[in-house]
Amino acid sequence: MTGSSLPQAAPRVKRTIRIWPYLFALPFVLAYALFQLYPVLYSFYLSLNDWNGVGAKTFIGLKNYIDLFTKDPLFIKSIYNTLIIMVMTVPLLILIGMFLAYTIFNLTRGRRLFQTVNFLPYITTPVAIGFIFSFMFDWQTGTVNQLLLKLGVLDEGIYWLQGEWTSRIIIALMVLWRNLGYFLAIYLAGMTAIPQDVYEAAKMDGSTGLHTFTRITLPLLRNISVFLVVTSIISGLQLFDEPKLLYGGWSGSVQVGGPDNSALTVIWKFVDDSFISGTRFGYGSAIAYSLFLLIILFSIASYRLTAGKGDER
Amino acid sequence: MRYVVWTLLLIVTVISLVPFYIMIMMSTYFTEDIFKGLPLLPGSYLLDNLRTVFESNFIQVYMNSLVVSVSAVLLAGLTSTLIGYSLAKFHFRFKRLLNYFIIISMMVPTQVGIIGYIIEMKHLGFGNTLLPIILVWAAFPFGAFFMVQFIKDTVPNEVLECARIDGCSEPGIFFRIVLPLIKPGLATLATLVFLWSWNNYLLPLVTINDSRWYTVPVFVSNLGIVHRTDYAARMTALAIATLPVLLVFLAGSKTFIKGITAGAVKG
Repeated sequence: MTGSSLPQAAPRVKRTIRIWPYLFALPFVLAYALFQLYPVLYSFYLSLNDWNGVGAKTFIGLKNYIDLFTKDPLFIKSIYNTLIIMVMTVPLLILIGMFLAYTIFNLTRGRRLFQTVNFLPYITTPVAIGFIFSFMFDWQTGTVNQLLLKLGVLDEGIYWLQGEWTSRIIIALMVLWRNLGYFLAIYLAGMTAIPQDVYEAAKMDGSTGLHTFTRITLPLLRNISVFLVVTSIISGLQLFDEPKLLYGGWSGSVQVGGPDNSALTVIWKFVDDSFISGTRFGYGSAIAYSLFLLIILFSIASYRLTAGKGDER
Repeated sequence: MRYVVWTLLLIVTVISLVPFYIMIMMSTYFTEDIFKGLPLLPGSYLLDNLRTVFESNFIQVYMNSLVVSVSAVLLAGLTSTLIGYSLAKFHFRFKRLLNYFIIISMMVPTQVGIIGYIIEMKHLGFGNTLLPIILVWAAFPFGAFFMVQFIKDTVPNEVLECARIDGCSEPGIFFRIVLPLIKPGLATLATLVFLWSWNNYLLPLVTINDSRWYTVPVFVSNLGIVHRTDYAARMTALAIATLPVLLVFLAGSKTFIKGITAGAVKG
C-alpha cells in the first residue's frame, strides 16, 4: 500500500494520542456519509416523489409504495421469484459447501489444489457465466440437450430457457456454480482455524467420523454458518447479474424478465423501471426501499434463527 | 471409501471447471462454428478473434477497468485499514457507536441509494467519468469490519506500546508497524475488492453512457453488435478479461486463505 515515508514526529505528550483514533476513523466515516449515506437518504426523499429525472418533483407521500404493493403485480411477482431462487440456492450452498470443505479438509494431499480450482467460478466474470449458461441450455444447439438426447434420456429437447420453472432452476444453478467455491473457501478457513488438539482429544475419547463432525466441527463452525447464511440471504435478495445476463445481456435484446417474467428479480425490475424502460426515479427508489425493508427483515430473522438464543453478542 | 471421496471431488471439480474451459475453447473458434457442437478441442480461429477484439477500443476499456479496480483497492484498503486500526487498538468515546455503525452499514445494500448516488454524481460534475464507479469503494463496510477483526487478532498490543514509548508518532506506528504486520489481511481484502470491482456489472451499466468509459463487463455485452453478434470474439475478450483476476488470485491464494481464516471467520 502506501509507502512509509512519513516524517518522524517528535515525541508527543500522551494527551495528543486521544485525537488519533478519531482521525483514523474519519476518512471512512466521511466517505461513507458522502457516497453512501447521503445517496440512501436522498433516495428515500425521492421515493416520496413523482419524478422522471428532469422535470419538477411532485411530492406524493407514500403513493409510490401503495401503488407498488397494490397496483403492480409484477413487483409482487419479482419478490416471489427472488425468494424462490434464494430458497433453491442458500440451503444447498451451505450443505454442499460444508460437506465439500469437510472432505477436502480431511485429504492428506491436494487440499490447496481442490480449493483453488473450485474457486475459479467465483472469479469468472458474470457476463461470461451468463453466456456460457445460455449456450449450454439452448434448445437446439445446447450441450445439455444434445447430451440428454444422445444418452437417450429424452426423445425431444427441453425448452430450458423458455419454461417458467426451468429458467428459475438454471438461474439457481448459475448462482450455485458461481458461489460454491466461495462457501467452500470460507468453511475450509473455519475448519483450519479449529485447533488441532480439539480433534486429538476427541479421537482419544473414541470419537470418530460422523460423530466428530456433528459434535465438534459443526458447533465450532456455527459463527461461520451464521455469517454465510445472513450474507448470502442479503446478496440473494439483490440477485441481478445472473438472470439479467442469462436473458438480454448477451443477445443485445431488451427482453425483460425471461419467459413470462418468471426470472424477473426485484433489482432487475428496479433497474428496468428506473433506467431502461423508463426513468421513474421516484418509483424506482420506492422499489429499492421496499427491498431494503425486506432485507432488514430477512437478515434479522435469519440471524435469530441460525444464531439461536443466548448466543447474542 | 477413499475412492468414492476422490471420484466425488473430481466430479465437482470438473463441473467447476467446465464452463471456464468452454469459455477458453470458444475463444478459439469462428462464431458460427461454436454452435455446431460442444467445443472441446481448441480451434484455429484464436488470432482472428484477437484481431476483432483489439480492433475495437478494447485496450481503452481494459485500462478503464484497471484504473477502476486499482483505485478501488487503494481507496477501500486505506479507509478500511485506518478505521480498523482505530477500532481495534484504541479506546475512545465513540468506539461502541462506530462498531454498530459498521455492522449496520454492512446491511445497507448499495443498490438502495443508487438513484440518489447517480444524481449526486451528476451534480458534482462526475457524470461522464470513471469516478462514480470508483468512489463507491471509498467506504467499504465489509472491508472495515474485516480489518477490525484482523487487526484485533494479529497486532499485539505490546508492540504498539513499545513503539509509543520509543517516541514513534501515531501515523508512524500505523505505517511502519501495523501495515507490515497485517499484510495477509491486506492481500485478502485487496484480492476481494479487485475481484468485486472488476466484475461489477450493475453500477457501470446504469452510470456510464459514454462508450469511452465502458468497463470490461459492460463493453463485452455490447461487442460486435454492429455487424453481427460475434460470440467468439466476446469470449476471447472475456477470457482476456478474466486473466488479471486469475493472476491476482493465484498470486495471493496462499495469503488469501490465511487472511480469510483470520478475518472473516470470527463472523
